Amino acid sequence: MSIKSGYFNKHLHVDLTKGTAEHRDLLDTFLEKYIGGRGFGAKLVWDNLKKHDFRVNPLGTENLLVIAPGPLTGVYLPSSGKTSFVAISPATGLYGDSSMGGGFGVELRQTGIDILSITGRAPELSVLFIDNNETTILPMPELKGKSCLEAEGIIKERLGTYAVHVATIGVAGENMVNFACVNADWSRNAGRTGIGAIMGAKNLKAIVVRGHKDLPVYNVSGLMAEANKAYKYMEEHKYFRMWQQEGLMNVIEYANEKGILPAYNFKDTVFAKHDQINGATMLAHYKIGDSACFSCSMCCGNICLVKSGKYTGTIIEGPEYESCAMLGPNLGIDNFAAILSAVRLCDELGIDTISTGNIVGAVIEGYEKGILSLSDLDGREITWGDEEAVLELIQKIADRRGIGDILADGSRRIIEKWPEMDKIILQVKGLEQSAYDCRAGITMGLAYATSDIGAHHTRAWTIAKEIEEGQNWSDEEKVDTVIYHQKLRPLFDMLGVCRLPWIELGLNERHYENFYRCVTGKEASLEQLLELSNDIYDLTRLINTRLGISRKDDSLPYKVWANPPLTGPNVGKVIDQKDFQKLLSLYYQKRGWDENGIPPAGVERKFED
Amino acid sequence: MSKKLTVIPEQCSGCRICELVCAIKHFGVNNPKKSAIRVLTTYPHPVMRMPIVCSQCKVLTCAQVCPVDALRRSDGVVQLNKENCTSCYKCVDACPFGAIYVHEDCDSPIVCDMCGGDPECVKKCPTGALRLIPEAALGEFKRLNNVLSYTQMKEIEFYEKGERKVIHYAEIGKEEL
Repeated sequence: MSIKSGYFNKHLHVDLTKGTAEHRDLLDTFLEKYIGGRGFGAKLVWDNLKKHDFRVNPLGTENLLVIAPGPLTGVYLPSSGKTSFVAISPATGLYGDSSMGGGFGVELRQTGIDILSITGRAPELSVLFIDNNETTILPMPELKGKSCLEAEGIIKERLGTYAVHVATIGVAGENMVNFACVNADWSRNAGRTGIGAIMGAKNLKAIVVRGHKDLPVYNVSGLMAEANKAYKYMEEHKYFRMWQQEGLMNVIEYANEKGILPAYNFKDTVFAKHDQINGATMLAHYKIGDSACFSCSMCCGNICLVKSGKYTGTIIEGPEYESCAMLGPNLGIDNFAAILSAVRLCDELGIDTISTGNIVGAVIEGYEKGILSLSDLDGREITWGDEEAVLELIQKIADRRGIGDILADGSRRIIEKWPEMDKIILQVKGLEQSAYDCRAGITMGLAYATSDIGAHHTRAWTIAKEIEEGQNWSDEEKVDTVIYHQKLRPLFDMLGVCRLPWIELGLNERHYENFYRCVTGKEASLEQLLELSNDIYDLTRLINTRLGISRKDDSLPYKVWANPPLTGPNVGKVIDQKDFQKLLSLYYQKRGWDENGIPPAGVERKFED
Repeated sequence: MSKKLTVIPEQCSGCRICELVCAIKHFGVNNPKKSAIRVLTTYPHPVMRMPIVCSQCKVLTCAQVCPVDALRRSDGVVQLNKENCTSCYKCVDACPFGAIYVHEDCDSPIVCDMCGGDPECVKKCPTGALRLIPEAALGEFKRLNNVLSYTQMKEIEFYEKGERKVIHYAEIGKEEL
């Protein structure tokens, strides 16, 4: 059975150099095979790489930026507001993607397209405006240097409407900071892998969308019934209320208890003053409202306001766990108001909180250890918990001032400049590590090492499961868990939905095969969908190996091997190189890649059409 | 009808499920732009998520400007007679709240019909920001919220016959006086 609905069968390709926009038709075979989101992105990026003989400068005009929601984006089912941004990442030089919540992807789909791809470079700072079927490139050089939030306001005012969705970059994106992000709907970010820098390199300040079209759904009443079941399950879950109230901030307490919370640049994995920065504190003193992505009942987003002290008046959408952990305990900051202020600054500058937290943490530790001198730091000392110095440094990174100019190029450049920083900074393939320590769980280490974008938990987040159930797992079970995650989690990105209902509230993943069937009219079991998702994993691996990645790069930060956490439940734990290599070999074997991590020659043929 | 659809914006998360279910119920399509309710989000100054939906006013400004008398109240709910309607959209401009909507695919404006007394948006709202309450209870949440924000609730924990009890009492914020 083939696809009957669920797509507009349209791909909008914009060439900013030529100033052209062209609608291309999509074939059903393409839609069936790549599903959407990161699937579409990976395929288009792969084709573009082949076209340029695998020589694509991430910040060059030839790098193709693909923005693709999925077939389920915007329809009635839990948390369907996701869209993927895919390109060759400037941080890693490899395949990169980042997904964004909010309502931007929904509105993008409503303009009647399944994929937006952008190439070239506009002659001056511009805004891409997709208004239903019309696409215009508006030069707006006056937006230069404006923050994300300010730019969104100015654009809405200029266009004379609030009923548009705007994805902007900030100063960091304009300055091509390698971990700049794209900010939409005020504070929803496609944060990782430096997508913002790519927009900056294309002289594209913002993408504005306005669409009115019906989203194609094959069986609306079937979808309604299935979605109602899912919503009901979530609502009756014992932690549903807590998720609505605290959102991802509840993870702080959990991570601290289990000893996976980054503290002092991962020197430690528990934080003494965790109760000053946890969800309960946020609820009691800072939270003023809820915030949700499109069609999400969990509303994990918070709105916080600082009501007293020197940061009075700071208002942010958030924070969520990663931002709070990386800009809080990881830098030794125990003042929640200061964390909010740092997150707000990152939102305004359009810079990734995870990478920023890692890099600032590494700078502090580097200075402490004497690797960085005071003159390296432009004469401004920075120590653990020094809020003002941290805020100053974040601003310097975005502006590329002084040391900020080097830091803005990300961890690879930092290690080039100060080779000893390799032992301090936590990164895999050039992408800084997420806020879950992996020394307590080798599967999390394997997940970071084999993630196609670098040390991010988006592909597999196995740490909680391993800590709770997996102490006696065999190697086989460990590898299987990671691979299952790496199939399922990217599937959510392909379908254009959020994974939180599944991972946090245990919503049965079988629902998604029904959602897919109701929307597209095509029968596909979860196993079949997972196989398609697995194919995309092969494809992204293929992209990376063709760009020079092999077994030696599937490694972990130095600290994971050598520096155990100083206190807490995981004191003394590190990952053993031998155990890890054994696991990695088994992982390759199960994936059908060779001992060096290269997919077999025949795989390439699968992605020809 | 004695029940009113009321909005508690402080509890709205901006998820827009109300928009979706309204469009599905009335048009059978997944299109939040075909709904009689919309969530307006402003940020950062001020921060507000405000679902805008027909208030079923006693004085129908929309009906007063209708040149063909297509808007009338029946069973306590404003009803649009699509056969009479000329789609001049005067009602859209006249509504003080902008709670009447227009979509290019639709021949007439989109007017809330309260789903015959059992609004879909209220049933599906996950945070309780939309509620159907008796007319006489209107304003209750506002009053309560105002009181709570004016005072600061203090908690005292004590044990009575081995049983843990908590009393709340209000202490007016000293710095605000």
